[in-house]
Amino acid sequence: MSNPVAFLGRTAQYVLLSIAAFVSVFPFFWMVLGATNTSPDIIRGRIAPGTALFDNIGKFLTQIDLPRVLFNSLFIAGVGSALTLIVASMAGYGFEMFRSRVRERVFSLLLLMLSIPFAALMIPLFIMMANLKLINTYQAIILPSIASIFIIFYFRQATKAFPHELRDAARIDGLKEWQIFFYVYMPVMRSTYAAATIIVFMANWNNYLWPLIVLQTNDMFTMTLAIAALNAGYTPDFGVIMVGAIIATLPTLVIFFLLQRRFVEGMLGAVK
Amino acid sequence: MAHSHLARSEKINGWGFVMPALVLIGIFMIYPIVWSLWMSFQTGRGMQLSFGGLANITRLTQDPIFIRALTNTLIFLAIQVPVMLVLALLFANALNDSKLWGRGFFRTAIFLPCVTSLVAYSVIFKSMFAGDGIVNQTLLALNLIDVPIAWLADPFWAKVVIVTAITWRWTGYNMIFYLAAMQNIDRSIYEAARIDGVPAWARFWYLTVPMLKPVILFTSIISTIGTLQLFDEPNLITLGGPSDSTLTLSLYIYNLSFKFMPSFGYAATVSYVIVILVALLSILQFFAVRERRT
Amino acid sequence: MTRITTGWKRALVVALAGTSMFGISAASAANLTVWAWDANFNGATMQQAFDRYKANNPDDTIDIQIFDKAAMEQKLQAQLASGQTQGLPDIVLVEDYRAQKYLLSFPGAFEPLTDRIDYSGFAPYKVEVSTVDGQTYSVPFDSGVAGLFYRSDKLAEAGYEAADLEDITWDRLIEIGVDVKEKTGETLLPIDPNASDFFRMAMQSAGAWYFDADGNVTIADNAALKSALSTYQRILQAGISKPKNGWNEYTGSFTSGDTLATTTGVWMTATIKANPDQAGMWAVAPPPRLADVPESINATNLGGSSWYVLAAAPEKEKAIDFLSTIWAQDVDFYQEILVNQGAVGSLLAAREGEAYQAADDFFGGEPVWQNWSDWLGEIPPVKYGIFTEEADSAVVAQIPAITNGGNIDEIITTIDAQVRQMAQ
Repeated sequence: MSNPVAFLGRTAQYVLLSIAAFVSVFPFFWMVLGATNTSPDIIRGRIAPGTALFDNIGKFLTQIDLPRVLFNSLFIAGVGSALTLIVASMAGYGFEMFRSRVRERVFSLLLLMLSIPFAALMIPLFIMMANLKLINTYQAIILPSIASIFIIFYFRQATKAFPHELRDAARIDGLKEWQIFFYVYMPVMRSTYAAATIIVFMANWNNYLWPLIVLQTNDMFTMTLAIAALNAGYTPDFGVIMVGAIIATLPTLVIFFLLQRRFVEGMLGAVK
Repeated sequence: MAHSHLARSEKINGWGFVMPALVLIGIFMIYPIVWSLWMSFQTGRGMQLSFGGLANITRLTQDPIFIRALTNTLIFLAIQVPVMLVLALLFANALNDSKLWGRGFFRTAIFLPCVTSLVAYSVIFKSMFAGDGIVNQTLLALNLIDVPIAWLADPFWAKVVIVTAITWRWTGYNMIFYLAAMQNIDRSIYEAARIDGVPAWARFWYLTVPMLKPVILFTSIISTIGTLQLFDEPNLITLGGPSDSTLTLSLYIYNLSFKFMPSFGYAATVSYVIVILVALLSILQFFAVRERRT
Repeated sequence: MTRITTGWKRALVVALAGTSMFGISAASAANLTVWAWDANFNGATMQQAFDRYKANNPDDTIDIQIFDKAAMEQKLQAQLASGQTQGLPDIVLVEDYRAQKYLLSFPGAFEPLTDRIDYSGFAPYKVEVSTVDGQTYSVPFDSGVAGLFYRSDKLAEAGYEAADLEDITWDRLIEIGVDVKEKTGETLLPIDPNASDFFRMAMQSAGAWYFDADGNVTIADNAALKSALSTYQRILQAGISKPKNGWNEYTGSFTSGDTLATTTGVWMTATIKANPDQAGMWAVAPPPRLADVPESINATNLGGSSWYVLAAAPEKEKAIDFLSTIWAQDVDFYQEILVNQGAVGSLLAAREGEAYQAADDFFGGEPVWQNWSDWLGEIPPVKYGIFTEEADSAVVAQIPAITNGGNIDEIITTIDAQVRQMAQ
């Protein structure tokens, strides 16, 4: 850091990141403060710690069956994400590493499908789930989410950075194609998997529209549905909602904390 | 002989890897899509449908609200996507530095917005941009403005709030893709460039950006699709107002299906406008970023 | 597919084994499912109604599911559109403005109750909104009878007593607002520039709507709408209002003392009374009328909802019996929900009960409930038709033009064109 240009650059880097971090975190700070305040105080825009935290938590726990709701959400998001990662990364790998004219066409079609708004597909999908007798089940939420075109697309793009020499070397070593995928590709691409896990888990965890339509009984409701229901009514209790919002944010944050170590590893040059 | 064996194995493996996904997509997407395509030729109220031929397309051309929603959506697209992606790239580059102190903190902080629950998000943004909210208070205190800005009551400023909100929520998300991709770049290239005295901006522009091209293409297509389907922010923060100035195509589709007299057929037709837009933009993007095959 | 499904089920059974305590035990008696949108208001009243019913039907149970209102409407509409009845509730709450739309878009989805409920006991305008081709489908619930809530303490500072606000016109209220602003510096009204509440209330006060009884668009020569639009413009130009975007900001404004009054439905009472520190500082007057429309009176409606029974409901007979026993007859029940939730029902006989006679110290010791029920009986009935949301959105889209002093006739022409385009 003796070089003044480098010093300036570093300072600019910190200023940029600090502003970005402040702007990003500020609403969360507000949310946490909100959880300690009463609802009328939040509506009045009070930005100071209040004394209603335990009151809000207490009310939250009486209104929501937390263990049950948490289990539903974790089960759906956990199983759904794991299946998506496997199925979508296989497809992304397949589309990129084994190119053919037909599969390119199929892939372009997939991209177009991605652009159809879900609202247009919801009613037919609901009829289909009803015919399969899957209404109000975990499967009804998980099954349509597994083959995420978005994640297939992501893995395909990330695979462009996967060195073909690695595959060629593995082939010479006599590994079968599926072995190459599981034993070479997956470990090498772990920062890609880490990022994808965060994204998929978050999407499943926050999924709202479809679970709302397809889940019918309170014992099946997910965290997101339960919190949205708190906001129902003429006088929603924002203190309780803020408690719910914090609890709903935690699991994704934990996943993020755990997986960002993978990025650090990458930075240390572990990926070669 | 060996050649044809290889070709056959390529074929089997090529389909083998993509098949589980294609089967699931076939079941859970194709059927609803065919159904909705068929719906787009139907007219009527609720489930009182009858075949209308191209009636919905005619209606589209005469519908001023559709034109407004389309214009708004394209404005959001043109402004928001580039701003967000450039910011995400800058943040990712600043964070991709093992000597940076507090890297984990910054990374988490900037990622945080996209994991927030939508309910909290809408409550917070509405109160921040309220007439006497914290944004106006801050701007007044800094003497940047003399009178409070009517953020959500003014057609122009409401658009600004929506763009701000989307950028706030999704920049960190896109940054994660860039960060993950940057990990896959061999660090020795950077070291070599540094030793050769290549300045940081040039390393960023001539090394990082070209290496990230596939991911940049990915994020720009995804963000384009995401913005064309923009729904959450206008629905939660402005309800499409004031004066339909933040009404998007997706919100209009939602209104046509669930708020107004249900016109599922017409709503499906509007949905396919988004698909056509994406097809057109993808062709454009394809020519703009034309990849070199290796 | 089958194998996948069974595999899944097995996995689920294993996964659920640890949480079996959450499982629902199969009951032999009827279990009613109800959808509503406010745990503290309509959900809570439904629970109390059922508790009374249960006294004579001890084996029956109820499952009240609360959703966000927009979410619930979407869920209902998606499911009705799919034609699948599995998972639909027995009873669903529908906002009155939307009733005609549902009944006409999804014929056969709701059970006609004309022969099962005695509608003569309900406020006529509530029965009107759920009647199609001579069949009535709802059990009327809460009334949206409107009133002018105001801070009596602040208005008294400017020299205005309750009598000064009794049966006034909107233009008189504007004068008062200007005077209050001069004397105290405070702003009278919060106005949500995305809401059509004002226009709905103003039109219904004159027995008018965007459509006539046959559903024809009546915007171009609608004296009440024209007067409502120009009155709105005068309110904004008088500088006695503040723009408040969305529900929270709007309710937050008058409950925090930022503004002093609002015209809204009786269901706002609970929100206002949620601030006990303001007890005794509030009063309610009848809603102002339009000055230049002779038909306009000091009574109108905003919102309100009713219970509907799904035609495919598994417990249809039970649901009808329950609604008819409690909601259509039990006067004591209406006293209970008035006291507990501040819910003003639409059963006219309820007003003879004890709770309706009582004075409320929060509102300066006035017999406010008796007043509300007097106004309730006067509300002009209106057919909302099926395109109210469309018309609302066309009107709301013109609010910036109205605010900026636009020509009202031109604005009406624009609204008319848009509504005609959308109403198809």
